[in-house]
Amino acid sequence: MSEAHLTMGAHSAPPMEARPFAMPSKKFAMWLFIMSDVMTFAACVAAYAFLRNATPNWPRPFHSLTNVAVMTLIMLTSSLTMLMALEAAKAADKAKAFRWMMFTAAGGVLFTLLHIRDWMGMMDQGVTLFKNPWGTAAFGAAFYSITGFSLMHIFVGTIALIVVAIRYQGGRYTADDIDLFNLFWQFIGLVWLFIVPLVYLMNVAR
Amino acid sequence: MGTAGAGSVKKYVAVYIALLVITALEFLVGYKGEGSGLALRFLTFAIIDTILVMLFFMSLGTEKPGFIKFFVYFMLFVLATMNYVWTDSFRLLLFRLTGYMPT
Repeated sequence: MSEAHLTMGAHSAPPMEARPFAMPSKKFAMWLFIMSDVMTFAACVAAYAFLRNATPNWPRPFHSLTNVAVMTLIMLTSSLTMLMALEAAKAADKAKAFRWMMFTAAGGVLFTLLHIRDWMGMMDQGVTLFKNPWGTAAFGAAFYSITGFSLMHIFVGTIALIVVAIRYQGGRYTADDIDLFNLFWQFIGLVWLFIVPLVYLMNVAR
Repeated sequence: MGTAGAGSVKKYVAVYIALLVITALEFLVGYKGEGSGLALRFLTFAIIDTILVMLFFMSLGTEKPGFIKFFVYFMLFVLATMNYVWTDSFRLLLFRLTGYMPT
């Protein structure tokens, strides 16, 4: 190939677009996704606060929150194990990173099961989307909507984590991909820390 | 991507313990607390949780200052928009407590 051809080829290559905030595109996309999810959760929380304040005799049905406390402990611990996986991945210790990711996924599964148990307990007391034994029907709709949206994130996130872990072990994903997933997992853990006081602790029976 | 280190792990564990303590306090306040300041106390705890998680667990502090500003301004916009609804909800709460019905 002649020098003239090489030069022409170099000039015809499309220009590289600068990366926003000097951040990898995938990471920026994950941040944008998180920001859009913040808006969705914020809308749910605002709607819940509006309903709660505007409705006379809002129910306060929670006598014991042991199950919720255990769920919170699991969620916080899984945030830590996810970070351990990230640190191991950065150190190129694949086996250790995979192990920590599996611990995190186990936390996600356990959290999901306890969440379903919590819902079953509410259903046993007669709480559905449209009625409950304590008063306003809006309580059930608000409770299941907010906690259900959070549960969906954690359940789907757990499945995604298992896929990421398997692909990482197989060599298709790198530590950068674990870093991306870590952002998502920390975010859903943070959302739970908002849901606990708003939905549960403010409605403890007195 | 940075390099892994024992320092990072120690930092994560310290933040994890701090989050556990804050959450325990929240449960204590939830069981014992009463009154109009309850929501404000929970909001304060949640904001502290958010700062800790964002800065350390999501490493927002290590990103470019431009991105941090972009993110923070966006969050403030969302919260300000929420505040519009909050304000109206507290207006309705006042009506309920005082028995006032607007005509």
